Amino acid sequence: MGILLFITVLLVAACGLIYELIAGTIASYLVGDSVFQFSTVIGTYLFAMGIGSALSRFLNKGLIQRFVWIELGLGVVGGFSSAMLLFAFAFTQGFALVLYALVIVMGILVGLEIPLLMRIVKDRYSFRDVIAHVLTFDYLGALGASLLFPIILVPRLGLVRSALFFGLINTAVALWSTFLFAPQLIEKRALRAACLVVSGMLGIGLANARLITTTAEDNIYADDIIFARDTHYQHIVLTRFKDDLRLFLNSHLQFSSRDEYRYHETLVHPGLAAIPVPRSVLILGGGDGLAVREILKYSQVTKITLVDLDPEMTRLFSTQPMLTDLNQKSLLSSRLHIINADAFPWVDSNTESFDFIVIDFPDPTNYALGKLYTTAFYRAVARHLSSQGFLVVQSTSPMFARDSFWCIAETIHQAGLQTFPYHVYVPSFGEWGFVLAGMHPYAPPKSLPAGLRFLNAEGVPLLFQFPPDMAQIPMPANQLNTQVLVRTYENDWKDISH
Amino acid sequence: MTIERRKFLSMGSAALIGLSLKTDKKIEGSFVNESAAAGHLLRDRAKFPPPKRTEKVPVVIVGGGISGLSAAWRFHKRGFQDYVLLEMNERAGGNARWGENEITAYPWAAHYVPVPGLRAVHVRELFTDLGILKDNVWEERALVFAPQERLFLYGRWQDGIEPAVGLTQKDREQFKRLEEVFTRYRSTGEFTIPLELGLTPKFAELDRVSFADWLRSQGFDSRPLLWYMNYACRDDYGALAQDTSAWAGVHYFASREQEENGPLTWPEGNGWITRRLLELVGDRVRTGQMVHKMIPSQRGVSVFAGDTEYQAQFVIFSAPTFLAAYLQEDFPKLQTFVYSPWLTANLTLERIPDSQGAEPSWDTVFMDSPTLGYVDATHQSVSSHLERAVWTFYWALADGTPAQNRRLLLERDWNYWKEAILQDLERVHKDVRRCVSRIDIMRMGHAMVRPSVGSVLSEERAMLKHRNNRVLFANSDLSGISIFEEAQFHGVEAAQAVLSHLSGSHS
Repeated sequence: MGILLFITVLLVAACGLIYELIAGTIASYLVGDSVFQFSTVIGTYLFAMGIGSALSRFLNKGLIQRFVWIELGLGVVGGFSSAMLLFAFAFTQGFALVLYALVIVMGILVGLEIPLLMRIVKDRYSFRDVIAHVLTFDYLGALGASLLFPIILVPRLGLVRSALFFGLINTAVALWSTFLFAPQLIEKRALRAACLVVSGMLGIGLANARLITTTAEDNIYADDIIFARDTHYQHIVLTRFKDDLRLFLNSHLQFSSRDEYRYHETLVHPGLAAIPVPRSVLILGGGDGLAVREILKYSQVTKITLVDLDPEMTRLFSTQPMLTDLNQKSLLSSRLHIINADAFPWVDSNTESFDFIVIDFPDPTNYALGKLYTTAFYRAVARHLSSQGFLVVQSTSPMFARDSFWCIAETIHQAGLQTFPYHVYVPSFGEWGFVLAGMHPYAPPKSLPAGLRFLNAEGVPLLFQFPPDMAQIPMPANQLNTQVLVRTYENDWKDISH
Repeated sequence: MTIERRKFLSMGSAALIGLSLKTDKKIEGSFVNESAAAGHLLRDRAKFPPPKRTEKVPVVIVGGGISGLSAAWRFHKRGFQDYVLLEMNERAGGNARWGENEITAYPWAAHYVPVPGLRAVHVRELFTDLGILKDNVWEERALVFAPQERLFLYGRWQDGIEPAVGLTQKDREQFKRLEEVFTRYRSTGEFTIPLELGLTPKFAELDRVSFADWLRSQGFDSRPLLWYMNYACRDDYGALAQDTSAWAGVHYFASREQEENGPLTWPEGNGWITRRLLELVGDRVRTGQMVHKMIPSQRGVSVFAGDTEYQAQFVIFSAPTFLAAYLQEDFPKLQTFVYSPWLTANLTLERIPDSQGAEPSWDTVFMDSPTLGYVDATHQSVSSHLERAVWTFYWALADGTPAQNRRLLLERDWNYWKEAILQDLERVHKDVRRCVSRIDIMRMGHAMVRPSVGSVLSEERAMLKHRNNRVLFANSDLSGISIFEEAQFHGVEAAQAVLSHLSGSHS
């Protein structure tokens, strides 16, 4: 019986730790600030365990029976803790309240377990051995749980199933205890029946784990769908809410899957469709593959070169299923060559020419990025344009950053190109602007590729009309030695936030 | 701050590994480009072996800095080939030498040329030849990128080096009044670059007082203003305001129009110009050839270098003028040619040190530091993502006499200077020691001429500027100020004088 008893301790300890980790992890994922979340969850949990231990002295009779009930209670509360937290976040304003209430309840129950167990077995062993054995297995269980959690449970089961699974383990311990301590128990049947009921509840939960998570609309967080990584170059964050997938680079929104087609169709087609027989296309930036997806709609285009600084970015958008769904596996196209390089030095050293060049960089928020919006840069890029070619530049918002937009247009103009600015409404961004440019006049395309969701040939000329509140204003060009754009951009957005 | 779960767990082990790396890693480096030992052979009148061979060549240029290379450039443009250029060091360039490592090219001394005004015709001609000036527009990539300069003072950064924060009403008034004084001097047309074009005795009284005394006499006592004036003198002349002629102090501010564009600069500083000039005239340049004797005669000059006696009709002496006294017997010892000792260092940085929140700038200066701060050699890179850098650190040893400081330069070892440099940088960049992998240090006992009181309009200078002898002097020290434009001006002018002498003698 000895070893079985101590395995019980081990399992109980593992369950206790898992619930704590789950609470901390969910809080970090949903609310952020993981240091704060883990510190407060662990602190509250340990404090509640102290309360449980203190309360244990008030339990005097029927210790085994009470232990079984505690295990069942913990099985229910702990087992459904993930689900409750997700629902609380999805449907209530009181996530923190639910979180800490749950943590306190689970902590108290867990705090009761070990003192009760010790008292149950105290007559079989010396006090010295009880302490030594129980605590040994308690800590062993904690170690096992802490290794299992990040390596197997979270990646394989997800947080909702993990919690339910451990709820079942608590229930199993309860059931098992009714056999282990059978001689000292009365009402065995009622207890065993209760165990079966709880198991049934948890089993139904497990079978419907997916439904629970999708209902809570937040399985993303639990199922590794939210993605956050500091690469060598930037901080990539992917969020999902319902069917809306959003990419943030260094906290700046890059696209929302709900309306990115408006952005990318408008970025690519007005220019590319106006070129009689486009063969080769260059994309600078755009590691998400969404511009590539649009370009692949032109069968005449035989070669696409994508230059993006960050290999993590192109790797992510080549492999992550939700992202390859979005870009239709464009980054895996045999027509595409991906080059992970710094754009300006690459443009300087490369000698190829292209029929269409897409320049899709993050906004000029600092001097390093500002270099990619200078006359020197556009001059260097223009050397790669074929005689029939156009280039298009993502040029921030002509509405919110009107000075910046027209500064970029003027910069391209002073680099010796004819410019054709246009704009589009993208709900998640607001009004957004582009500058199309080339060595010769532009005429809107007569037709567009099939299968576009937003643009049609009749609509293209309309994009080039600017209402008075976005109309051109005189701005200086942005140069390496002045970098007026960075300060302009900063002021533009400062004005908006006031 | 959101930390991914897995990452959070891994932080513990990262911290453990970090502990074992905590000890400061070793910083490599040495003194480089040493030329003191060779120079001291001349000073100590060492015996040199007699020449083994003679070579007849119409013109010898002594010294391969900007002056000598510019003389050669003028010859090249006129199609004149009958000359050699002798350079004592293993590499030409003088104060426009450069170095290179796997991160970037970097300067060893002069690192910029202010956008030249219309009177600097030779400079404009050169930059037109080099493709920097086209249709009156300067090549954008050669202008210093923004942000350009920053000053660290009172525990914070400001843009620009002229102190602008923490000024009292009095400080502001004095800055304004001094600018008005400089504007008046500017409008006289006496303070030009090249200096020769405007120089007359009209403001000779300025050359008879120190810049510090002159400022005091004009009622300027604002502390930030005096710091800035001292900084300017240290930066351009390697001297304190008290050791600088007021004429030169005024010239610094009154010689240039307020330019909208920053100076012209390149990763290797003025080494870029050297590099380009060497592409044109490098085949005439003989390095490692220290001239140790010159004997002028009626018909020409014998120049002794290594085992060769060059028999020339004319010598363009582009090396520092004070050396002539050690090469040529009966050459008078020069009284008004004082030289400032300098130290420059190039720091290889494996990562960019913390800048207390500021974006990297081209030129960084710390107020109240004895040094001149540093210039980031990677600043002119068009890359948007730089992880490593080379900083060129400048230190004019201006406090004390030049002789004392030259002794200090020679006596102290590399480790002493390395610590001094790091401690200076640690005023602001607390983690710099952990970022640096290498510090190479160049010591220059006679780095640049100093426009000391009475020197700009001295008789000596006026005499040496006459280019009617067999030896034509051409170093920038003829102007009394050591800047690119002066070196180039004298080099080109000397070459033109030689060409007209030669054509005169032929005709």
